[in-house]
Amino acid sequence: MKRIYLLLGSLTLLTATGAAATATEAYEIQTILAASSPTSSRSANWKPGDGIVLEVGGMDFTADGKLAVAIRKGEVWLIDGLQRGATSPPTYKLFASGLHEPLGVMRDGDGLLVAQRTEITRLRDTNGDGVADEYLTACRGWNVSGAYHGYTYGPKRDGAGNLWVALNLDLGERSDNDAPWRGWAGIIGADAAFKPMAAGMRSPCGLGANATGDMFCVDQQGTWIPATPIYHLRRGAFYLNPEGLGPQRRPDSPVKLSAPVPNKVPYPDAVRAVPEMAPPAVWLPYNKMGRSGTDIAVCDQAGKFGPFDGQLFVGEFTDAKVSRVFLEQVDGQYQGAAFPFLSGFASGVVRVLFGDDGSLFVGMTSRGWSSLGLHSYGLQRVRWTGLTPFALREMRALPGGFELVFTSPVDAESAGRTESYSIKSYTFLYSSAYGSPEIDVRPLAITSATVSSDGLHVRLQVEGLRELYVHELRADGVRSASGAPLAHPDAYYTLNRIPRQP
Amino acid sequence: MSRTVYHLALALACASVAAGEPVVIGHQRFHAGEAGVAGGRLLYNELGCANCHGGDTGLPARRGPDLTTVTTRQKADWLRAFIASPDQHRSGTSMPGLFAGRDAADAGAVVHYLGTLAPKSTGRARLIRHMNSESGKLLFHTIGCVACHAPRDDYVPAGGRPPAAGLASGTVVFPSLEEKYVLSSLGDFIRDPLKTRPDGRMPRIEMEEQDAIDIASYLLGLPGSDGEQAPKLDPFVPNREKAARGRDVVGALWCAGCHDLPAAERVQVTPIRDPAGGCLAEVPAAGVPNYVFNVSQRRALQSFLARRDETLPAEHRVALTMQALNCTACHERDGNGGPDAAHRDYISGDPNLGDTGRYLPPLTGVGRKLQPKWLEQAVKGAVRVRPYLNTRMPVYGGAVAELPALLARVDAGPEWPMPAGDVEAGRKLLGTHGGVSCITCHRWADRASLGIQGMDISNLAQRLQPRWLRDYLVNPAAYRPGTLMPSFWPDGKAANREVLGGDTDRQIASIVAFAREGRGVPEGFPSMTTREFELVPTERPIVLRTFLQDVGTHAILVGFPAGVHLAYDASEARPALVWKGRFFDAYGTWFSRFAPFEKPLGDALKWPAPAAPPGLRSFSGYRLDATGVPIFLFTVNGVPVEERFEPVPGGLRRSVRWNVERLRSIAVAHPEGVGAKEEEGSEGGKLSFVYTWQ
Repeated sequence: MKRIYLLLGSLTLLTATGAAATATEAYEIQTILAASSPTSSRSANWKPGDGIVLEVGGMDFTADGKLAVAIRKGEVWLIDGLQRGATSPPTYKLFASGLHEPLGVMRDGDGLLVAQRTEITRLRDTNGDGVADEYLTACRGWNVSGAYHGYTYGPKRDGAGNLWVALNLDLGERSDNDAPWRGWAGIIGADAAFKPMAAGMRSPCGLGANATGDMFCVDQQGTWIPATPIYHLRRGAFYLNPEGLGPQRRPDSPVKLSAPVPNKVPYPDAVRAVPEMAPPAVWLPYNKMGRSGTDIAVCDQAGKFGPFDGQLFVGEFTDAKVSRVFLEQVDGQYQGAAFPFLSGFASGVVRVLFGDDGSLFVGMTSRGWSSLGLHSYGLQRVRWTGLTPFALREMRALPGGFELVFTSPVDAESAGRTESYSIKSYTFLYSSAYGSPEIDVRPLAITSATVSSDGLHVRLQVEGLRELYVHELRADGVRSASGAPLAHPDAYYTLNRIPRQP
Repeated sequence: MSRTVYHLALALACASVAAGEPVVIGHQRFHAGEAGVAGGRLLYNELGCANCHGGDTGLPARRGPDLTTVTTRQKADWLRAFIASPDQHRSGTSMPGLFAGRDAADAGAVVHYLGTLAPKSTGRARLIRHMNSESGKLLFHTIGCVACHAPRDDYVPAGGRPPAAGLASGTVVFPSLEEKYVLSSLGDFIRDPLKTRPDGRMPRIEMEEQDAIDIASYLLGLPGSDGEQAPKLDPFVPNREKAARGRDVVGALWCAGCHDLPAAERVQVTPIRDPAGGCLAEVPAAGVPNYVFNVSQRRALQSFLARRDETLPAEHRVALTMQALNCTACHERDGNGGPDAAHRDYISGDPNLGDTGRYLPPLTGVGRKLQPKWLEQAVKGAVRVRPYLNTRMPVYGGAVAELPALLARVDAGPEWPMPAGDVEAGRKLLGTHGGVSCITCHRWADRASLGIQGMDISNLAQRLQPRWLRDYLVNPAAYRPGTLMPSFWPDGKAANREVLGGDTDRQIASIVAFAREGRGVPEGFPSMTTREFELVPTERPIVLRTFLQDVGTHAILVGFPAGVHLAYDASEARPALVWKGRFFDAYGTWFSRFAPFEKPLGDALKWPAPAAPPGLRSFSGYRLDATGVPIFLFTVNGVPVEERFEPVPGGLRRSVRWNVERLRSIAVAHPEGVGAKEEEGSEGGKLSFVYTWQ
């Protein structure tokens, strides 16, 4: 009991360190716990301070409303007092320990599934003392070489009940990407076996299903991956990074490329060259939309988090922020737009999760990599203050342009002028190099802007749309009915397919 | 120093156009407004006068930066402008104006000449992926940069921003950095200024490369986190004709007086004949270096020149050296110097240690405090004994070469005929069992102290002179005002009367003797819990997974309170190592990004794989029983098996259970080098062995 008391003593209950911190903003960031010292956790000599080293690797709510937090040193903590209506300060209880760098946790039945480097483990408390006493192997079957970056992510459940797991490519010393299944995602099969489904990932740090139950995964920029992509996971797909393709020779591989992967070609050419290559549903262009995507949470809050139900919220490490993604289907394939949402978090954002009170929990750690969030670790929550932000809620593809959907009515005069907008399209160089600049950049002519009678929709007629290109919109000139500019006038639409005329 | 000047200094930090006399911080702080000889000597040295006019000031040589690579580091436009009128582009610069009355193109020609000295570019710019100006801001304001440079308005120290009026001198003002540098070259300069400015006036603060980049990105005001977005330096291609002209100009202007340039450019040292003419004229003639001296600077120089042949007493030499290198920004000596009111709040450290946890130690008598070898290392910046200070002692290079010997000479005091010490008494005194409990607040080598984490004192015999230590222990506050350290020998009388009969001198000598012998630790450290991340099983076993040498990537460690431990290999579902003694240090597993392969803390015995092939043996997890002991679970050909280990006196019991109806036998192996005895009643389905160490 004394230990718990001491831990609570070290909590910092601060409000608002974020960009949207004042009561006049639509969203505010509250700190639940953050490392008290902002000293550099990337230093080889860094040592954690007192208290719980809440380097968040995974988060989920238990059946009784506690937040289960897996932390990188190998523990799972249960935090009580974060659910709707809780009034007393949160309490922390150690549930499990001795795990190997867990980077995911998910409630399943009366237990928790937690991703360790070597396996998915089912944790259960069988004697009711509130501490796990069963650590049973729930999924295994991938090689663990000892390379530091051989992380395991997940599991996450899709609409059909499949539990998805993603495996990082090996990087650094001892790497062995020819061994199965590095850079692959799969599901937990019979007999706790890993069942590979899709290949071509590099650092598939975050999984999450959308509102209809399809599974998505956010990867990170690096070799062969020019910017942060969000993939729609499905059997047989190959995405971007071929370094882990060795195991496609195995009989249990669902991926068989029918053509070699080209190098140093514009990305659309690569898609045309390799039929199995599945374009990301959305690209988050490098820097403009952060640098290292980490997690996906679908907003299922029935309005409690503002006007963005059904959209994906995407965590980002280096710039310590959260972005927003709108998806639609064209010819049965997902594509959509990414929008800036909120920055100014305390540390590198690794996990995002909606609570039952409509707030977005943000779990963080910066150890090992550089982040604009200077605290070594922490847990924060984003609350909607009830004010409707003036924002681009959706950007939809049309046969000859885009339809913009706003969160509140626009000023018809400014929104009806084509000069209020600009659009350019570009793609990336698909290559073994690290990242890519935007290439083949082309400004596009906007020939008309038509505002709907309710002021919420604007149709832009745009010339020269290009499939598989990112279409970057800026709506700097648009004002709300009350004269306010957009807090984030930019949006990034990944136009994999141009819809046909109805 | 007035408030106005302070604000001016802050304003100048961002402005590119400014003018004024050269700033020598030590002179402004200790000699401003006087026309004294000492201040004149300091100026004569710090403005590099001796480089052209000769004379030994007794102070570390002042030289200009290395110009042979300058066009690969700094922007040509800025160089041209700065050379043409230095004080207009960098307020307070000690580079004199040289181009009055000259063709404006001459400065450009000099840059072309310098470009011919530069090594050929490899054409490959260094990749800088990350930068973080917020981190740079924090470093800039905490590790010591603001001892010489003005703090900035966008940083507020924990105690609030101090009143500007407390500033005791001007600061070293930056030029417009974005006009001068790019991210990579400013980062390189911050990482190791001595490389291009070996005279040590900008010393090197040890830091990681990333930290230097972060500071550079902050000073350059670069947004975002991607270093590749930062502007790059355009390659400078010298024009041969202009370079030839530049070479003539460099020769004519005696640039090689201060800057190391090829031998052909050397200058003839010319003693000053007219102390009211030349550079010291109120308006120097065209072609004569113009330092833009103010009246008191000019008078001080003239005073010094009139008495330049007088010998400099050694204690003055120490004081002036410390002023020249601005040691006095952080350190007080003999009542002079130390941080001024405007700087104190920027100096931070461990608040648990009070003021001594953040302020730098005074240097009064340091030559009789520190052992000569230690003093030499300390002045070089090669030893760091106060890890809790955020300020880092910089490295000055050759500029401090003579300082240790000088300090030792100036500070020498009477010897102390230290009596013979008793090693065991020393150990007792340092400890908490009948001693004076030094280890309550002081660390001892890698052992954390019991309370606040004061300085490691295990090295006190190598570090401190006994006489000084004795004087200090009798009255710490006299040496370190504000210290939390109490005296255990007040007025020279030992508070502890039990050890050595309360003989002060013998007690202190015994502490020195124990530290000098370097064996063991003082009494009172809790056994085996002293390393911060050493796992010590106490009530229940500790179970954790890690990468382990000789086991692999699937190791599960089990540490028992009884002091016997094992590593289980989950990939083969079998025990793999066993050891006694200390269990495991978890730091690498818990906190290294690179997930190192670890080793047990004891000498482990190998536990070989069973002779039979593992076959269809498959690990399925473990359960913790009511006492926290793990029961490992696996299957052999689909039949579930449970395996449990528990300590017994002198060894370890292993029991293996399964349904013998479904599986007749399973293969087991025993650890090497221990006795293995099968217990009574052991049979198929419930095997039981006891292993004992011989």
